[in-house]
Amino acid sequence: MSEMAGKLFSWLNNRLPIVNTFERHLSKHPVPSKVNFWYLFGALAAVTLIIQIVTGIWLIMPYSNTEEQAFSSIEYIMRDVDYGWVIRYMHTTGASLFFAVVYLHMFRGLLYGSYQKPKELVWIFGCTIYLAMMAEGFLGYVLPYGQMSYWGAQVIISLFGAIPYVGESLELWVRGDYYISGITVSRFFALHVVALPLILIALVFLHLVALHEVGAGNPEGVDIEEHLDEDGVPLDSVPFYPYKVLNGLVAIGVFMTVFAIIMFFFPEGGGYFIEMANFQEANPLVTPDHIAPVWYYAPFYTMLRAIPDPLGGLIVMAAAVAIFFIVPWLDRSKVASIRYKGIYSKIAITLFGVSFLTLGYLGTVGVTEIRKIMSIICTIIYFAYFLLMPIYTKYEKTKEVPTRL
Amino acid sequence: MMHHRNIFQNILKVSLFLLFIVTSHEIVSAEGGPCKDYGDCDEFKYSLNDIDSLQRGASTYINYCYGCHSLQYSRWGRVAQDLEIPEDIFFENLVFDKSIKSGDLMTGAMPEESATWFGVEPPDLTLVSRYKGDDWIYSYLRAYYEDSSKQYGVNNLVYPGTAMPNVLLSLQGNQRLVCKDIPKIAKNGGEKRDNDGNPIMIEKCGFLEVQEGTGSLSKEEFDKLIYDLTNFLVYVGEPIKATRERIGWYVVFYFLIFTALSSLLYREFKKDYKK
Repeated sequence: MSEMAGKLFSWLNNRLPIVNTFERHLSKHPVPSKVNFWYLFGALAAVTLIIQIVTGIWLIMPYSNTEEQAFSSIEYIMRDVDYGWVIRYMHTTGASLFFAVVYLHMFRGLLYGSYQKPKELVWIFGCTIYLAMMAEGFLGYVLPYGQMSYWGAQVIISLFGAIPYVGESLELWVRGDYYISGITVSRFFALHVVALPLILIALVFLHLVALHEVGAGNPEGVDIEEHLDEDGVPLDSVPFYPYKVLNGLVAIGVFMTVFAIIMFFFPEGGGYFIEMANFQEANPLVTPDHIAPVWYYAPFYTMLRAIPDPLGGLIVMAAAVAIFFIVPWLDRSKVASIRYKGIYSKIAITLFGVSFLTLGYLGTVGVTEIRKIMSIICTIIYFAYFLLMPIYTKYEKTKEVPTRL
Repeated sequence: MMHHRNIFQNILKVSLFLLFIVTSHEIVSAEGGPCKDYGDCDEFKYSLNDIDSLQRGASTYINYCYGCHSLQYSRWGRVAQDLEIPEDIFFENLVFDKSIKSGDLMTGAMPEESATWFGVEPPDLTLVSRYKGDDWIYSYLRAYYEDSSKQYGVNNLVYPGTAMPNVLLSLQGNQRLVCKDIPKIAKNGGEKRDNDGNPIMIEKCGFLEVQEGTGSLSKEEFDKLIYDLTNFLVYVGEPIKATRERIGWYVVFYFLIFTALSSLLYREFKKDYKK
């Protein structure tokens, strides 16, 4: 029997690069031997993506993408479908935690220069994933067709209207109707469950292929390819299996503990993960008291609100995301890691982090005069971090990077 | 590692500073809460394992509220089952329309044309505990007061101008807004006293007080009734909630064990390349 299996396997392996691919990209793939916890969020993002895809498939089965039944089908899932509530809360919690780990993953990239030559493409694929995620999250948020789904969609879709000349027709084209309706829900459903997941999976694949081509980084910014053993394996690396697999397993354990605590005890996340107003069915005649986006869009929403002109707001918001794409060419530093960069870089990234968090907070609360001023200050700091990067990274004093990890 | 600590210290310092600015400003500009003229909502702590309370709440709901407010996502049989009421007893005592079957949704008892009786259609309340919150319901139902300027002679501190009459008036009695003499509070939080040591009293209005003997329940009994009713609405808002929290402990425990075992294993393997 085992001889048969062996024969079958070698038949397959002669026609498909199974062993080769497995060893090259998984079991024997060399990864830096010394990294810190910041390097675990990529794996966690992958885990979350899988959770979203699997729970998403099961949610499609009982969900109804019609104007009349979208909202009630969610309650049907929560009440009448066996363990439907588990699947649904996993999907809502997963959405928020996906953004949380991706934000941490991106911040890691900024901290340790994970975009520097030759990792520009890895970074760009990553930024594109983030962009696709923002679209995916927005589309998904409309599907339960609650009050916040409706009015959130109203706000976001009307942004297209701010584009000169084509704005109004574009808005109509995206919405598919003169107001948000069942037509909007069903097209958003198609995009949310088919189009964007396909794009996301393709992008994740490219992100990983590019990463494996150039090799993973480390918090020291040391190029481990410079010191190889006789087999051409970097001296400061360990094989992915078992070392990184086990490290990842610990991270997954911690992450899933947090995940479980949220989904079983605080599934609404204090109104940040599932907003209270979204437990009311969409009603075109009643505007909620205060329309707030889910927390993961909040920083960009604050920027949009800070600019009085709709087109200006749209441009600033789009620029805030787009600017990530050119970071590899903004950083002129000789070193990659913040550990060896100068004091300006350290101040800059700290201010950037704080302004991003403050923008996030401001996006979830109402507007007052002082909050408006703070929004503008934080928006300026946010852009200054990127736009001044070519200057402060070039002229600051950096420290000597060691040659080995 | 040194540089590392510096970064975090910087982040911490600046964050604390900004946090200080934001919070100090937030305290000054505190917006009106969800309970409006009532002030802060009364805190409500649900107890979904108290089946007796849920049963009483269900009975109050069906007798006093269900006539106007449907629970359209909830099913009769499910309520009976979750509240541990034998179906025959449940259907005999709480389901007035005998054509209703166990699996039917609680779609309400209002005739079609009644939608305009109160100016607005009485909303479905299946999810009210989720979009208004249990604190809000608990406060709202206890905040009616006599106001002859209104259509039904009552108004509500939590929801000024509410379209709903005080359905529970005969139980609660006639509640009014009264003024009271209360001790003046000094800035340090203590009572202000005059030179003889007697507290200085000031008149303050807006207190809710029930006229004695006008209701069939005492204040405590009425609060208890509203507690049970709110508790039932929390249950109906998410019938699985008690189960969810129970299962949650097992899942969290599982992942803690998982984390512990995998980190022991990882530590063991790490010895291969780390001294």
